[in-house]
Amino acid sequence: MTIADAGQPVLAAPERRRPIGLLLVAVPVLLVIWLIIWPIISAIIQTLWMRLPEGGETFSLETYRFFFSDGYSLSNLSITLWTTGVCAILLLVVCLPIALYLRFSDSKVAAYVQGLAIFPMFVPSIILSFAFIRVLGPNGTVDLLLNAMSLPKIRSPYLTPWGPVIGLVWDNIPLTVLILLSGLGNVSNQAIEAARDVGAGRFALLWHIILPRISNSILVAISFAVLGIFSAFTLPYVLGPAAPEMMGPFMQRTFRELYEPRTAITQAVITFGFCIVFGLFYVRSVAKNRTP
Amino acid sequence: MKRRDFMLAAGTAAGALMLPRMSFGAEGVIDVYFTSDQNVIDFWTNVVKPKFEAANAGITLNLVDGGDGPGVAAIGDRAMAALASGSDPQADLFEGFDTRVTVDGIAKGLYVDFETAGLSNYSKVNPLAFDIPTNLPYRGSQVLLAYDTTKLAPADVPKTWADLVAWIKANPGQFIYNRPNKGGSGGNFVRRAIYEANGQDPAKFTVDNYTAEAGETMLNPAWDILMDLAPSLFDGGAYTSGNTQSLQLLGQSAVTMIPAWSDQALSAIDQGVLPETTGLVQLQDLGLPGGFTKLAVLSNGTNKDAALKLADFLLTEEIQSAVLTELGGFPGVSWDYISADLREKFADLIPQTIPNFPGGDWEKAINEGWYRAVAPNVDPAS
Repeated sequence: MTIADAGQPVLAAPERRRPIGLLLVAVPVLLVIWLIIWPIISAIIQTLWMRLPEGGETFSLETYRFFFSDGYSLSNLSITLWTTGVCAILLLVVCLPIALYLRFSDSKVAAYVQGLAIFPMFVPSIILSFAFIRVLGPNGTVDLLLNAMSLPKIRSPYLTPWGPVIGLVWDNIPLTVLILLSGLGNVSNQAIEAARDVGAGRFALLWHIILPRISNSILVAISFAVLGIFSAFTLPYVLGPAAPEMMGPFMQRTFRELYEPRTAITQAVITFGFCIVFGLFYVRSVAKNRTP
Repeated sequence: MKRRDFMLAAGTAAGALMLPRMSFGAEGVIDVYFTSDQNVIDFWTNVVKPKFEAANAGITLNLVDGGDGPGVAAIGDRAMAALASGSDPQADLFEGFDTRVTVDGIAKGLYVDFETAGLSNYSKVNPLAFDIPTNLPYRGSQVLLAYDTTKLAPADVPKTWADLVAWIKANPGQFIYNRPNKGGSGGNFVRRAIYEANGQDPAKFTVDNYTAEAGETMLNPAWDILMDLAPSLFDGGAYTSGNTQSLQLLGQSAVTMIPAWSDQALSAIDQGVLPETTGLVQLQDLGLPGGFTKLAVLSNGTNKDAALKLADFLLTEEIQSAVLTELGGFPGVSWDYISADLREKFADLIPQTIPNFPGGDWEKAINEGWYRAVAPNVDPAS
């Protein structure tokens, strides 16, 4: 990643400049503490300390106990994990070939492919959702085309767990391709040519030369995609089945329609617990890159 | 210097973008926030705004789409904070809003109590529509069945609940309703099933008679009815996530029949979203329920008096008739205050009573119960 290169500033007198550097990072760090870290801590506190009806507060794990003993909540969690996992695998399968093509192709077509791969970034997900219903929904464009060729209709993924999967994969292609592409920038042409000279085949090139050099980027790309997909709202809500629902719509419904903020926050904390694992992957890989 | 010019221009532009957020509620401009769909905002833009502004020189309406319930609820929370600090809430009137949503809002006097506000037309409001004194009903809408007349002849359309169930089972995959918490067309279809499970008696449900036991004995039979229907629904038990998505499926001819809001279905046919061959029908044994849309006026708004004048204006015969003719909704006032020829014209289409299911705890129980019992589409006992 390019962030890693900025890690070694050329400072003439580090002792004198250090306070300025600290001051410069103070603002974002304070913002993160105020807007992210503190809300997390306060959310966890809110779910653990229950207000008693007669006043006073007591420590209680009740909402967590309920979540993990409630079949409905657990099935929502497992569909979220399933969707995230399937999306992550599909994203790699789809994006790695695109990124490899873009990195090693010199043709003019590559520019158009890149434009096309980045395009989903500019489409708001609510528009994507309704377009999805028009195209892949029942009697949608695909069905019309198939019908014109006297072929049977497709089994529409609309309102099934595959609906959000297709939408989320499409939505996450640009970021994944961009991250993988930046990782592929670290693979030098010389290394590839050298390997070719000693007779490495295409697969050996990919396995022994390219993949080891971009494993970090793959990890970062997957972490980013997983973090986004895990708490996705619009696509699973519009395209997915009514039940089981993904954690995003589930939290929103618990909070806004069942008026149970404590339960909703518990769901959020549990979601956060899963996301933090991938967040740590990302932080670790960045930290590993920075140490000389 | 180019770069500096650019920075200057960008800074000015960013500042200009932020200006409206910094501005105060202007005197003589009533800020109206909507939770309703676009067809209602169009109605205000084309009918209410010009008529009201013509009748009240110097007062203009600023119509703001609040997105949805939570969107306007956030404006309500902001007004609540403004009430505590004595500042300007920059909002005057909420359309399609339940004042109960703002925590402590009613208790702290954030919303005007219409019983004591002295509106000249207040006595005309349909007694069926009253809820609490801080909610002013001004229009009603009912859920009907919208169907494709090319696939189902109007003569064969089910007219009772029993016929409807028989039709759905005889035509698997041709009916879909949306999740009860996401748009009222599916919600009121579910409520009709609840009435069916309780002797078709809307009087059994009031805003304050919910208890956990009552919920269990009165709602569980309804879940059984809906579970029984599920395998015959579109895709063996799929539920769309909103009114619009149901209309889209009917428009794409993927299903033959859906429950739909009367006003939304009429404007969809008008705009060509639904084909002209779309038919509308209401069950005759007991109609699908509907609801009244309520207004709230903020007591601390800059234009409170003008907003009350607007609220009163909405209850006049002129606007109430337009609700019928232009919006395709029902009047919020009693039918006696609608002109005789309109009353006659709509007599066949609209029943005299609109079952109106209470909100509050019942709504919560229905939303939770449906998601747990019906939506998973599996027998909990198995």
